[in-house]
Amino acid sequence: MSEDSTQSRRQFLQKTALGGAFAGSFSLPILANADKLELPDNLPHWMRVPGADFSNYGQPSSHEQQIIRWISANPDALGNGVSWTPLHALQGTITPNGLHFERHHNGVPQIDPTQHILLIDGLVDRPLSFDVKSLMRYPMVSRTCFIECGGNSNSGWRSNPIQSQAGYAHGLVSNAEWTGIPLKLLLEEAGIKPSAKWVIAEGADAAALNISIPIEKLLDDALLALYQNGERLRPENGYPMRLVLPGWEGVLNVKWLRQLRLSEQPAMTRDETSQYTDLLADGKARQFSFINEAKSLITTPSLGMMLPDNPGIYQISGLAWSGRGKIARVEISTDGGDSWVDAELQGPILDKAFTRFNLAWKWQGEYAILQSRATDDSGYVQPTREALITNRGKHGFFHYNAIISWEITEEGDINHVYGF
Amino acid sequence: MFNWDNKNVIKSLLLIGLFGFSQAGLTKDTGYYGYGKSATQEEIAAWDIDVRPDGKGLPVGSGSVSYGEELYEAKCALCHGAFGEGEGRWPKLAGGFDTLTDAKPEKTVGSYWPYASTLWDYIHRAMPFTAPQSLSVDETYALTAYVLYLNDIIDDEDFVLSKDNFTEIEMPNKDGFFVDPRPDVKNPACMENCKDPATIKVTSAIKGITPLQHIAKEEGANDKASSDSEDQQPKSADQVAVDNELKVGSAIYSQSCSICHGSGIAGAPKFGDKMAWAPRIKQGVEQLNKHAIEGYSGKTGIMPAKGGNPSLTDAEVSAAILYMIENSQ
Repeated sequence: MSEDSTQSRRQFLQKTALGGAFAGSFSLPILANADKLELPDNLPHWMRVPGADFSNYGQPSSHEQQIIRWISANPDALGNGVSWTPLHALQGTITPNGLHFERHHNGVPQIDPTQHILLIDGLVDRPLSFDVKSLMRYPMVSRTCFIECGGNSNSGWRSNPIQSQAGYAHGLVSNAEWTGIPLKLLLEEAGIKPSAKWVIAEGADAAALNISIPIEKLLDDALLALYQNGERLRPENGYPMRLVLPGWEGVLNVKWLRQLRLSEQPAMTRDETSQYTDLLADGKARQFSFINEAKSLITTPSLGMMLPDNPGIYQISGLAWSGRGKIARVEISTDGGDSWVDAELQGPILDKAFTRFNLAWKWQGEYAILQSRATDDSGYVQPTREALITNRGKHGFFHYNAIISWEITEEGDINHVYGF
Repeated sequence: MFNWDNKNVIKSLLLIGLFGFSQAGLTKDTGYYGYGKSATQEEIAAWDIDVRPDGKGLPVGSGSVSYGEELYEAKCALCHGAFGEGEGRWPKLAGGFDTLTDAKPEKTVGSYWPYASTLWDYIHRAMPFTAPQSLSVDETYALTAYVLYLNDIIDDEDFVLSKDNFTEIEMPNKDGFFVDPRPDVKNPACMENCKDPATIKVTSAIKGITPLQHIAKEEGANDKASSDSEDQQPKSADQVAVDNELKVGSAIYSQSCSICHGSGIAGAPKFGDKMAWAPRIKQGVEQLNKHAIEGYSGKTGIMPAKGGNPSLTDAEVSAAILYMIENSQ
């Protein structure tokens, strides 16, 4: 091989290495054709120079900077709104802490943990106050569960299917391992009076968000979480402490928790009357919905992706979860719901946590509508959109868990559609 | 030694978990572990701000409708509108009576909220948005009175709302709520031949509502459906490019533009409103793109740069405009 061609190949490799995201894929064909005698030239650039230094806190690869939460905030009040987890770009079941969805009612408070107090009062034998340091001494447990905003997927109530990527329409749900103190233990430190039926929780944010929770839930499986996926909570997820109520809608999992007040009655706060209630067609509204019912979402393939090979074998993959318990079954339809086959559930299948499902699919270029349908271990089956709307009308706004449909065109394009 | 400690911790956890708190195990007046402190009366009083439907938690104080109007104009109208009609994405506070069964229900304090106490509690703890917990007790009574007045729940503009008469207020929608009896929606979980393919319809943002002919053809189940399938003429490269841009535009529109352009708030030309769009389209697409990308203040309203979403690219904004124009002329 001439010196010129060696020189130009070296330059190409250098250029592509600098070029970023596509360096690897562009250089591969050259490697395949390379003369085996010139092995040193086949080495990628990063094998020829010492690598980067250590880092105190690791960050994602610079080639993954586009994997972000999508922020939808009130343009006049940037702390009021949501940010969506990019579920379509993630695998496995654990949501990285920097990508856990956010819902803030008036921004993220910057709390100094030495100045933060949790008060337990109301119908208790001994009103108690805890600082963070004292709480760190209590026995803790870890559990993995999802948290889903009651407003997740609410574009589904609109008459036109939203053309947003899977996570940016359905990603107000995330799944993490939370570590903290069982609420039962803390409430019993204060001593529960028999008349206490509800607990009013309040957060230390600028909305002083308050909401009423039936005491049974706190005595069952609720945590005062201090850690998220092994590290202390992120500010946007409640630092220094938050409630985690496995399987119950997001707003009840009060972040920046500063008070638990035991009471006979719910407080009827804004976020349990005016918001997070489902207005039905007859003008009445459902209140205290609490449980996130079973739901599933195909994350791959989904809108924003393409099917490049025709024919080709594709791995249909997605997430299923239920606030009632474990996922028992997920079925897939590729024909708009006429026929269904079981997907494989990836273990371990945890209570009130994301379960990933997979199914290999041979696509031969036909028009298809992909749907997934989750069933939980209580026997509840994820409903069709038609059934949900027939039951609840068009103005529920919250608690949308209908089957989600992706249209695959003959060209391999993917659109969000409503199939019925 | 280590093992012995561990067992003891497990044993005490079991005791608490299975049998609840046991007085016999109480070693401190702050609970079994006792790492917390006894809350002081000052702490309890400082944390005690919630107000209940039965009036529990209401502090002594009062405020008039007219004082409330003064405060409202100074502190609230900018976002909620002079008559509680709501500006931008801020909530509408007044009106909407008897609309809860309409095609477009309006959920306001007057039409939807079941308790006046919620209004007092929320104003006091969370409003104004930029300065929460800055309102005095009397100011909160006055503002609550004025918002109720805007909703015709209080008729008399000389009315003074106070701790003493508060529970006499009755909200129009007080009986409008019931505890969610879920699960309410059933799915028989059919596996085979669940639908007649000819009856399957698809709602698409791009094509509207269409029968699912392709699948009908695939399944060979219904000849009639496949015989009147869509016009299959090949599209030109230009048309494909425009289609793709419209698809992007539709997504961006839903995500970022529909908030204002969907309802026509803040002077935004409403999606599909040909009258509103005609003079703008006349200015030319370039001008519209410029205004949308850089922001624009006109006679009828304000277009924030990129609709207030700086993460959009110029091309995405242009695609959204194309999508809006296509659907508004």
